[in-house]
Amino acid sequence: MDVPPISRGFSSRRREQGLADRIPPGQFVTTDFPVLSAGPTPQINLEEWTFALQLNGWVLGEWKWAEFQGLPQTTIKTDIHCVTKWSKLDTIWQGVSFDDLLKAVDLGEAPFPYIMAHCDGGYTTNLPVADLIGGKGMIATRYDGSLIPPAHGGPARLLVPHLYFWKSAKWVRRLRFMEEDERGFWESLGYHNHGDPWKEQRYDGD
Amino acid sequence: MTAIERRTGPARRLEWQRAKVRQVVVETSRVKSLLLQINGWQGHLPGQHVDIRLTAKDGYQAQRSYSIASPPEDEIVTLTVERVENGEVSPYLVEELRCGDQFELRGPIGGYFVWAIAIGGPLCLISAGSRIAPIMAMLRHRDKRNSRVPAVLLYSSRRLEDVIYRKELDAMARGDSDLRVVGTLTRIQPEGWAGYRRRIDKPMLADACFPLDRNPRIYVCGPTSFVEDVSSFLIDLGHDARTIKTERFGPTGG
Amino acid sequence: MPENDLDFVLDGNAAAGALQEIFVADVTTALIQCDACGSVGALGSLPFYAARMGVVLRCTDCAAILLRAVRTPHGRWLEMRGAHCLRFALA
Repeated sequence: MDVPPISRGFSSRRREQGLADRIPPGQFVTTDFPVLSAGPTPQINLEEWTFALQLNGWVLGEWKWAEFQGLPQTTIKTDIHCVTKWSKLDTIWQGVSFDDLLKAVDLGEAPFPYIMAHCDGGYTTNLPVADLIGGKGMIATRYDGSLIPPAHGGPARLLVPHLYFWKSAKWVRRLRFMEEDERGFWESLGYHNHGDPWKEQRYDGD
Repeated sequence: MTAIERRTGPARRLEWQRAKVRQVVVETSRVKSLLLQINGWQGHLPGQHVDIRLTAKDGYQAQRSYSIASPPEDEIVTLTVERVENGEVSPYLVEELRCGDQFELRGPIGGYFVWAIAIGGPLCLISAGSRIAPIMAMLRHRDKRNSRVPAVLLYSSRRLEDVIYRKELDAMARGDSDLRVVGTLTRIQPEGWAGYRRRIDKPMLADACFPLDRNPRIYVCGPTSFVEDVSSFLIDLGHDARTIKTERFGPTGG
Repeated sequence: MPENDLDFVLDGNAAAGALQEIFVADVTTALIQCDACGSVGALGSLPFYAARMGVVLRCTDCAAILLRAVRTPHGRWLEMRGAHCLRFALA
């Protein structure tokens, strides 16, 4: 295969020095916050919004917006990594951790080992529960101190920053426990089932 | 064989080719045209675009699409690029790229948003800002072939200084009684401006575009919101959706 | 900054390069029928989402997904469950 010619004088605007241990392989730092969506931004009415934990046909817990705000809130500062190669450092998010959601429905632990996140607009992504517990995942409602803008997934998005950002599903409405793993929107079309940026698990077969 | 006849050959896989910059032309304070030589270029149809790919020393690659602004009658392939604030590729193309530099390019791509004189008219072209490039390819093609297909261009820009190809368009229209060029400046209009002074709306389209009974072929390009608004207006005015071809560009060429 | 969130959406024209890696022929002029609502249009006119991750083309009328495509180092994926059919003109 031909080696592509180097474009004289072209460099990524995204490089930053001295951050090698925070940037997974193949990633480039950006100060922007690019928007990537698989469909139109849903117009969501907070009066009608609900979020649920689901097990087969059962709703384990369901919250309206005001109720959801009443759950214990967690704030984190974290780096996020998109499979399209941009990474954004020190992003601040607030929401309800997965651990607190389990507590809110009186579960000491998850009933099944896998989760499918279902979102307005039909997007889905799958995760092992192990990637959500212990503070690893939350349902975020605020970014950088303000309500998350619709284009970035507001009113609520899943946030699982240690995995590629397609797993941090925008416009999340329910998490469904699954006994066996099933592949979500991108995972069923060539993307890696797990998506660990430190192992560069971008695509199925990596 | 003319460029257009070559173009209708059998389908083949797109391959990356090398484009060499022959000349850089300043169009406006933010926009430049890149005149490229591409060995083995097979020709194109007005309206088609190319993908370009840049590779940095560390292997980082960026890819973007640009419409071909030149007509198929030219040997040189012209891309017109607007420098986007905080963009990654366009600042390189507009500020850094010099004659003799090379980058990868593949194309021509896209058979949907295409017009050639064989398709006929009358032709109604509507564009916003720097997204006029594919439409310019169509007009330049029409001009080079001395076509009498009736045509109107309605362009929208914020200020006169942002209007690309202005002198060339004025000259084309002056010399051609079958071509009308109509502009609207949406933010600032200079003294003596005789064109429109507002965003494109239904009455403006009713005035500017050919009436329904002429059955015009309509091409609209610009940012998505512009294209969708203009298309809705045209459909409200009674134009058949099948006669309207659209090309939506992203907010950033990048 | 874009004036409008909508401006992040492109159309099937912009997906033409990526799709031509799969279809070889230019597919943007083919007519595609939505399986959900029956609407028919040129593929090049469809709203195109998720550009950097792959191709997601949706029905102009009902927003159902008509085509998804991804290119990975291990192969190319194409899924068109939402499309009833594609119709190409003879060359």
